[in-house]
Amino acid sequence: MIVAERKPMDEILEMLAGRKKVLVLGCGGCVTVCLTGGERQAEMLASQLKLAAAASGRKLQVDFDCITRQCEKEFFDNLSKFPADYDAVLSIACGAGVGYMSEQFPGTPILPGMNTTFLASNVAKGIWEEYCRGCGDCMLAWTGGICPIAKCSKSLVNGTCGGTDKGKCEVNPDMDCGWLLIYKRLESLGRLDEYRKMRPLRDHRKDRGNGIRRLVLAEMTEEESDNEQ
Amino acid sequence: MRDGDLTTDQFAQLESPQRLMEREWAPCRYHCPVHADVRAYVELTAMGRFKEAADVVREGLPFASVCGRICHHPCEANCRRCDVDEAVAIREIKRFVCELAGVDATVRKAAVQEKAKVAIVGAGPAGMAAGLELARWGYRPTIFEKFPVAGGIPATAIPTYRLPRDVLAQDTDWILAHGVEFVGNCEIGKDKTITDLKAEGFAAVLIATGLAKSRMLPLPGADNKRVLGVLDFLTDTCFGRTPDIGRNVLVVGGGNVAMDAARTARRLGAQVTVMCLENEEEMPAWDWERDEAEEEGVKFVFRRGPVEVLTDGDNIVGIKTRKVTRVFDEAGKFDPQYDDSDLQDMPCDTVIMAIGQMADMGFVEGSGLSTDERGHLAYNPATHQTSQAGVFACGEIVTSPGSAVEACASGQRAASAIDLFLSGKAISIDDNLPPYIDKIAEQTAEKVLKVKRYGVVAEDPAKRVTNFDEVDHNFEEMIAMAEARRCMSCGGGAEVLVDKCAACLTCLRVCPFDIPKVTDVARIESSLCQACGMCIAECPANAIVARSWSVEQDIADARAKIAGMGGERKIVAFICGHHAPAAAWTGQLSDAIAGVAEIYMPSVSRLSAAQVLHALEDGATGVMVVACNEGADRYPTAPTRVAKRVAQVRGLLDEIGISPEKVQFITEADQGRAAMRNAMAAAADRIEGKSEAAAES
Repeated sequence: MIVAERKPMDEILEMLAGRKKVLVLGCGGCVTVCLTGGERQAEMLASQLKLAAAASGRKLQVDFDCITRQCEKEFFDNLSKFPADYDAVLSIACGAGVGYMSEQFPGTPILPGMNTTFLASNVAKGIWEEYCRGCGDCMLAWTGGICPIAKCSKSLVNGTCGGTDKGKCEVNPDMDCGWLLIYKRLESLGRLDEYRKMRPLRDHRKDRGNGIRRLVLAEMTEEESDNEQ
Repeated sequence: MRDGDLTTDQFAQLESPQRLMEREWAPCRYHCPVHADVRAYVELTAMGRFKEAADVVREGLPFASVCGRICHHPCEANCRRCDVDEAVAIREIKRFVCELAGVDATVRKAAVQEKAKVAIVGAGPAGMAAGLELARWGYRPTIFEKFPVAGGIPATAIPTYRLPRDVLAQDTDWILAHGVEFVGNCEIGKDKTITDLKAEGFAAVLIATGLAKSRMLPLPGADNKRVLGVLDFLTDTCFGRTPDIGRNVLVVGGGNVAMDAARTARRLGAQVTVMCLENEEEMPAWDWERDEAEEEGVKFVFRRGPVEVLTDGDNIVGIKTRKVTRVFDEAGKFDPQYDDSDLQDMPCDTVIMAIGQMADMGFVEGSGLSTDERGHLAYNPATHQTSQAGVFACGEIVTSPGSAVEACASGQRAASAIDLFLSGKAISIDDNLPPYIDKIAEQTAEKVLKVKRYGVVAEDPAKRVTNFDEVDHNFEEMIAMAEARRCMSCGGGAEVLVDKCAACLTCLRVCPFDIPKVTDVARIESSLCQACGMCIAECPANAIVARSWSVEQDIADARAKIAGMGGERKIVAFICGHHAPAAAWTGQLSDAIAGVAEIYMPSVSRLSAAQVLHALEDGATGVMVVACNEGADRYPTAPTRVAKRVAQVRGLLDEIGISPEKVQFITEADQGRAAMRNAMAAAADRIEGKSEAAAES
């Protein structure tokens, strides 16, 4: 899932400076699951903004709403409050939601309330950790299921580097060396042969090197133009 | 989606969340013959809202005060708390609230009472219950009773040590206040006939005469004047006519009425032995009745049957008995067998026959009503109709012998039949009920805080036998509330709005009872939910609602409290009320801190971070959350988790330049009022930025 964290309040207040009527819009997808951008968080952020405005003697109307996913236009029909009625929408979806809504509601500023951070799994109550970087070229089959892109701070595909120190990473000594983890996992699986193989260099065109990435499923597309943009 | 899934739209269309509780009932309500909303009145009692609790009882149960004393309480037998520790003392709670409300119980009369006149024969629980329903619907019922007083068996036979008559009068007066007319000293069949009633313009007649005659045995010697029918004996005693009994009384029979007779005879100064066909396990009297009789010195002889009353001239000298080899046949049918070679004489000078009651069929006289081959009134149980159009029957005369509450249920059903009949409709009564919630699972029961049931204090047996004063003393206020707080609020808990649920697992992670399961969406088994509200307060999607309360209402209530406060200081205190007295819950405290509005909840477990922010948004100058200490809260982990919510809110305030001190968390709710009030006063000072040292000086 996608993890996003709420932006620092100062940044939010700066974005909203001068606005009189704001809609805080939650997303019922990933950010609800990581407890940062659901309806409840929209409700609380709206309260916070109202309290902040009142404390500084500003007039500000803040409402909140939430839809199932901000990254799908069909769900916009379920909005109970309409972006056009507001000076700005403060979206607390991930960046995909904010960007997509901006495109779909060109007349209203859709402002990001969140910093979208990583693709994560929930490792303990209240803790999400990065497991995937969306590199477009998964090699978990050869690394014992541990992602060298996500778990190695240098995203090396042939580790380790010389910077591992007692199992920790030289970039951040709080962080385990990803490649040492891979080595130990492969060792326990009896597959150190995989470790000894030289992996091909990364094709960055699959990552971000070739412009905007798209997924086109021919079996679902309806018009030629859909996949010819 | 599954059957019964609730969506946001469906929820929004409900008149109140409480409607959801009609989907399935708590077993206490289901098994109550009149389906009184037990959970609701017990919860109101826990909140110190006694008058409202009494009104809820009376909504379904006309003989509320009577049943507070004498009900056989199937609600308790089916209480889900039995699988945790012991049933909630529902009957005692009912007694406390109903007797406290007393004659001030709310009377909800029909706006206009102009519908047809209905005659009811017999002012017992069945007839009175029917009369009440009919009056509430605008009919004009008149109850004819052969005794001068209303109440039936509770008035004429139940001993006053079990049911003081002022308690009974609370019910009968309340019922009559609804526009039910009472005509005493009028025996139908003797003073007036059913035909007369029709001629007087009664559009329908309801026979609710109960079982008013004692069954007797045709034994040799049984014609002696000191062989008494149990009802005659009890009725004489009730009306202050001391019955003629000797010093050595034998009561024949093992039911509850036999216990009444035995204990009454003890109070009249006799030595008393109860003899019954059954053994200890088989005898039909409630255990507690027998225990109390034994405490009062009543002796028991089991498995013997009477053969002959032995007399010497006019005096009884004993009773010849024979051994009982069995009471019930293989199919469980009453079929006693005897060993006639085992005969014994038991000395006694008085015999009271308490082997059952039978109908007094005197009302048939001049009515043209049919009876069956056994002499029973011909009657259709589905429609309550007798052989004559417009003549109905209910209660023990047509059902098997039962309790007061069962008679009330029968009367209420008959009232529905009469209403349909008089409205010109087919008499078709839907007896279907919602399903009831299953037993609590063992693994959930283990996690529920064990709380010992509060017992009533009984009068000393040695003193009891000297008078007819009440045996069991009423609960005191704090005991009634503490006992009510043992209720698990079955069926009042969480309900998931399936369209909103993101399956995030938060509910599962915060539930102290490990109840939610997340499959397609969160599934919260109502039969297990303990209604703590923890998941509701934490759900990031606002996708969980409560059946027994409304978060929106809670927010609106806090807003109203804030708006109602004058002055600069407007602090809201959300307080765990699990240990608080009624005066606290109902805002009657005399030591309230100026500018601090106290809002009580069963536990602060249900208070969300958002609600705290809303209070500030609505104008509160500060909020304090007053929790119990961990272990004193009815829900495990609640104080710890709520402390985290408060810490979160403080962080959110800090971010926007508002002092986090505006929100305080303290844990003195279980420390007694004085300690709690001191802690609250100190918290109020911290909210206002006064140092505690400065505040003290």
